[in-house]
Amino acid sequence: MLYSLRQIFLLVGKDLRIEARSRQTIGLVIVLGLLIVVVLGLGLQGQPAADRSGMAGLERQVNHAGFSATAVLWVAYLFAGVLCFEKTMNVERTDAALAGLMLAPLDRGLIYFAKLISNLVLILAVALVVTPAGVVFFNFDLSAGLGSFIMIVGAAVIGFAAVGTLFAAVVSSSRLQGGLLAMMIFPVSLPLVIVSSRMMTGIFLEARPLETSSLGILIAFDAIFVAAGWLLFDLVLEV
Amino acid sequence: MSNSLTTSANAPKGFVGVLDYTVGDQAAPVLPTVYWLMTFVALAAAIVMVFAWTPEERSMGLIQKIFYLHLPVAINTFLACLTVFIASIGYLWQRRLWWDDLAAAAAKVAVVYCSVVLLTGMFWARGAWGVWWLFSPRLTFSLVLWFLYVVYLLLRSGIDSGQRRAVIGAVYGIIAFLDVPLVWLSARLMPDMHPGHVALAPAMTLTLAVWFVPMTLLAVGLIVVRYGLNRQITRSLASSSSWDSAESVATRAMETVGGAA
Amino acid sequence: MTSVNSDALNALNGPGGAVATTAVALEQVIQLCELNKWIDQRPVLRRISLEVPRGQFTALLGANGAGKSTLLRILATLLKPSSGQAFLFSQPLGRDTPSLRARIGLVSHQSMLYRDLSARENLEFFGKLYGVADPRQRASQLLGAVGLLDRADDAVGGFSRGMAQRVSIARALVHDPELIFADEPFAGLDAPSTRAVEVLLGRLHQLGKTVVLVNHDIEQTLRLVQRVIVLHKGAVAMDQPAGAVSGGRILELVSAG
Repeated sequence: MLYSLRQIFLLVGKDLRIEARSRQTIGLVIVLGLLIVVVLGLGLQGQPAADRSGMAGLERQVNHAGFSATAVLWVAYLFAGVLCFEKTMNVERTDAALAGLMLAPLDRGLIYFAKLISNLVLILAVALVVTPAGVVFFNFDLSAGLGSFIMIVGAAVIGFAAVGTLFAAVVSSSRLQGGLLAMMIFPVSLPLVIVSSRMMTGIFLEARPLETSSLGILIAFDAIFVAAGWLLFDLVLEV
Repeated sequence: MSNSLTTSANAPKGFVGVLDYTVGDQAAPVLPTVYWLMTFVALAAAIVMVFAWTPEERSMGLIQKIFYLHLPVAINTFLACLTVFIASIGYLWQRRLWWDDLAAAAAKVAVVYCSVVLLTGMFWARGAWGVWWLFSPRLTFSLVLWFLYVVYLLLRSGIDSGQRRAVIGAVYGIIAFLDVPLVWLSARLMPDMHPGHVALAPAMTLTLAVWFVPMTLLAVGLIVVRYGLNRQITRSLASSSSWDSAESVATRAMETVGGAA
Repeated sequence: MTSVNSDALNALNGPGGAVATTAVALEQVIQLCELNKWIDQRPVLRRISLEVPRGQFTALLGANGAGKSTLLRILATLLKPSSGQAFLFSQPLGRDTPSLRARIGLVSHQSMLYRDLSARENLEFFGKLYGVADPRQRASQLLGAVGLLDRADDAVGGFSRGMAQRVSIARALVHDPELIFADEPFAGLDAPSTRAVEVLLGRLHQLGKTVVLVNHDIEQTLRLVQRVIVLHKGAVAMDQPAGAVSGGRILELVSAG
């Protein structure tokens, strides 16, 4: 067990070291996330001018914007995440490095866990940059439930990465088109989007406490798809 | 009814094998004809029943009758998705391609049926609440389900290798079905316009039960027909191999070299 | 370009020291019995039966699509056979093959290295992955053996194809495997690099390793190996000692329709 953990950390260390060297993925993904926040922010400035004037108007704008913020952040995470998953898997595809891993006396499920952790680290880095940007652009007040926010996003991102890591392996090894990864991940991940958005609306707009049943759905999603990803990963690898 | 393709080693035995038939076969077998006749009759009877016999619902009027189509089709959609799941597991377990052909057939029917669920749901929404769309639990669930299985079909169409397509299809088929209960639970968080549990008049319950018959027969029949087509295609790809030519070349080569040495 | 150091080549041998005593000299390292492989319902390998004893240098020749690389990949545990039996070191190639993988190495025309990491980092990574005792020292040792110690800390992405291939061979040897597979290792290499790889493979054979080479160049192969197996359309068409056949005969077989 300990040996497996060491091997996972060895693989994660390798991924992160490569990322630190090339800085390719992290730069692209952060910029993409920021751009999405800005584009959507501009696009959602939909209220008529009259409505936005005055204190009541400002309040309405801020509240409205606050709600939009969670959706916008999700869109940013989704698209940045898809790009991230694709690139971390492509590292293994160049020069058939994945074959090198498969030749090693290594349980292939561990490759899945390692890729999952690497992806989570990168997405965390994106979230650390994009979330403050979203909060600032949308005047989104997180103080009402910062802890809840972190928990919700954390749980949702784990499930998202679990599915994304598995599907990225499918797409990269089958020489399928790029947009296919997004197409595969989004429908499966919709429960995460729905649940987390509802929870955030509840906490920030309606000042309700964190709903444990909804959090339970997120955690169930995570557990099911991390397990499924681990078990099915070997099947989708192809050299 | 027997043809050379059905006697190959890959042919599934039993019930489904009996229903297996080629399109354009001159002596059309009896069982499918009877089956489709039955389905047609059941459908006709159900339609007549709904318009001539079933009482109209007070508040919604005629549009409510779409419910008798909607619910059986929705249940059958779920059963088709379940079939994809079981067939996916079956393929990964046994690696026999007929499981994959079954999964593909069931998925196609699932998408068609789910489209009907969405359309009938939208007409209902229009009739009941005046809007074509609402992110209500049931409509949201149906929409996500639709996407899950459309992606399944698109994914398969993008892979050329039959074996690879079967493996990837099976993996996605499993993931998609594991997602279904989660979609259901999450969709329930959406604001609901559906009434809770409406008490149906006995006549209405009977009509509903009657509608289950043609809709289920149709679903099963479509899956079987599509499965038969898939099997045909898969087998025709298999029969293009030939053992003898390679063997004889090898034998000749060994003789030649033996002589030279 | 630093050429391969023939003294340092001894370092290709692992810390275990000298190899293969006569006691195990007759062990069949590879045993295949009626091995078949179908891909997409087409037979790619047909009823392959052969044995490779320890320490033999064998080549697989054949036209494109004859099944050479597929067979090699099955032996390297990257693909599973469809039917038939396969044994490595008298152990069946079943589901649990991690222990077998620790005894084999594969060199391919693709380097299987990470471009952004240095040669040393790549070797240390694979060393740790295989549980090698002192990965850092082993990496230095191997880099010396392949003559790339002076470029050890440069990113592999900047290497020429010949240099990358030498690092790739070092990667394949980091865990001191007894059985080495080489799948068209000369592809795309210039003459000096080709010669370097030939020398490396020859040295591995001298050290007692079992080597199976897939190659295209018939004359080059006959120079290097002890035994030649020709595959034609997935079946064994010829299996002879290298000295007993002529290149012309092999060419005929390979080119047959």
